[in-house]
Amino acid sequence: MYFLLSWRNLWRNKKRTIIAAASVFFAVLLAVVMRSGQKGSYSYMIDSSAKLFTGYMQVQGKGYWDNRSLDRSITLKPGQEKKIAETEHVTAATPRLEAFSLVAYKTGTRVAQIIGIDPSLEDNMTGLKKRLIKGSYLTAGSGSVMIAQGLADILKITTGDELIIYGQGYHGQIAAARLPVTGIVKLPFSEMNNNMVYLSLSEAQDVFSAGNRITSLAIMIDNISNLGAVEKKVREITGDKFTIMTWDEMLPDLVQSIKLDNATGIIMIIILYIVIAFGVFGTVMMMTSERRKEFGILISVGMKKSKLVLVTTMETIFISFLGVVAGMLGSIPVILYLYYNPIYMTGDAAGAFKTIGVEPIMKFSTNPEIFYSQSFVVLIIALATAVYPVLFINRIQPAKAIHG
Amino acid sequence: MRKNNCGFKIGFSNSYILFICILLCTLFIARPALSETAKEIVAKANDLLRGKSSRSTAIMTVIKPDWSRKLTTKIWMLEPNYAMILITEPAKDRGTVTLKREKEMWNWIPAIQRIIKIPPSMMMQPWMGSDFNNDDLVRESSIVEDYTHTLIGEEKIDGYDCYKIRLIPKPDAGVVWAKVVMWVSKKGYLELKSEYYDEDGKLVKYMTGGKVKEMGGRTIPSYWEMIPVDKPGEKTVLEYESIEFNIDISPSFFSEQNMKRVR
Repeated sequence: MYFLLSWRNLWRNKKRTIIAAASVFFAVLLAVVMRSGQKGSYSYMIDSSAKLFTGYMQVQGKGYWDNRSLDRSITLKPGQEKKIAETEHVTAATPRLEAFSLVAYKTGTRVAQIIGIDPSLEDNMTGLKKRLIKGSYLTAGSGSVMIAQGLADILKITTGDELIIYGQGYHGQIAAARLPVTGIVKLPFSEMNNNMVYLSLSEAQDVFSAGNRITSLAIMIDNISNLGAVEKKVREITGDKFTIMTWDEMLPDLVQSIKLDNATGIIMIIILYIVIAFGVFGTVMMMTSERRKEFGILISVGMKKSKLVLVTTMETIFISFLGVVAGMLGSIPVILYLYYNPIYMTGDAAGAFKTIGVEPIMKFSTNPEIFYSQSFVVLIIALATAVYPVLFINRIQPAKAIHG
Repeated sequence: MRKNNCGFKIGFSNSYILFICILLCTLFIARPALSETAKEIVAKANDLLRGKSSRSTAIMTVIKPDWSRKLTTKIWMLEPNYAMILITEPAKDRGTVTLKREKEMWNWIPAIQRIIKIPPSMMMQPWMGSDFNNDDLVRESSIVEDYTHTLIGEEKIDGYDCYKIRLIPKPDAGVVWAKVVMWVSKKGYLELKSEYYDEDGKLVKYMTGGKVKEMGGRTIPSYWEMIPVDKPGEKTVLEYESIEFNIDISPSFFSEQNMKRVR
């Protein structure tokens, strides 16, 4: 009976109800869009960083990450590599042999990171081919090198010249080679651009006397939410002999900056919650005072205050739910629109993205958890405002209220 | 009778004197051996293995727990300052040469047609990934001149009675070890074992000599094992195939030009 009474009360004054519900609706919408934008850009950042070089995870020899020695390289059976590449959610898997060694041209000598790659698999994962600025892209098994533009400038070497590589191979053997430069690539970060020398995997294995060994198998997946599942599958395929490093272990800097940004994001959203709370509260307060006379009459004709409290509380609950559900439903098309049409950024923010070579866009996340959690918080805030009518009714003096 | 007696007396005293003489002589001859200093023992052992100059062929086998490889080398040495090592097998490293002249050391890498100088700071670096470091092979430091030698005991190694000698580097010597303990056989001065200790007094690696046989007119150990203590399952074996001592070789052989030519 009270349920029906409060429901009817709501629709007695449609405008009032809709205004109140709308304030909740917009609160939900705002919170969801904001959070979705944040979470979306985090996964975009992680995704682009992973794509840049490391991948979402890598299969490595035990202890390789801390002591990057060729002696900790591994051999994967061809079947294992194929199985990993064909695992669900895996979009690319590329084997690499990495080593530091001296590179020289004429009188210039520098330490460089030599990377043996499978040219087409590497391109699948990192899009290396489109970073080529001179010459031609590496081909599998070729006995030539592709050098990063910054390093090429330092050594004053260009395509057609012969680069000397001198370092230590597998188990301390001498690694020495003289190979023609056939391509120059421009890499996004100066640490990469001033250091990288690419060889075909087989050539690198030959130069470093490493047989068919690799130092890592980098794996790219379709969505970060599948990371755990893929890691488990890869672990099943490779067994316990190897280490599997995930992006957060390999990119601690990125984890740090995301944590920092997330902290400021949380402060922002708390401020947003406070604004929302006062907005909803203002509406509720206004609505309650408006019905002062009505409440006074009801109490005068014998309605118990407690029953009146029950009815008004239920009204607030209805309005809150109405607003939250509408907000959730309403934000879905907005988020979907933003998900498919990400916001293009300009200015400084765009510059930061461009340096790492990714599109300067703000992506939005469609993770349902954001909808639930944001709606839940707003609902709690809306319900908390129900305290005001309760206090108001308890304090009401019917005689004054009727004449006031 | 009297004469006879006298004669006997003389005869007796003669043989007595002779006996004393022989005794004294043997004592005199034996004495240097007994009081031989530790330094002399090390010098003799060192001289036995190196001579004035030598030319040898040796096979080095580097053994790691799951991997091993063989290097065939030709070694020329002219004491005390010159050494050259040429790798003849495997094909990938063929022609790689290490040269030591006075206090300097170079590598010739045919694959890149370059001579690379090895700075003194790299004397402790492994040679070609083996457990022998650069200093072990071409000895910038002298085992005789750069150490103070003390005889600290006698022990049996592989059935040989050995002197046990402690070597402490002299303060100004460019030596990488804080202490070396060496076992040299009393007979033949064979260097049968050496232990190398770091500054903390910890044993880092040890070398054993074996397969004693006659090579190049000398009886020497022809088989060496260098075993690092902290790396289980790893060692490097060096075995002589042939060796000639006191060959005719001049310092001009050990030149940068010759590094590129030597076969």
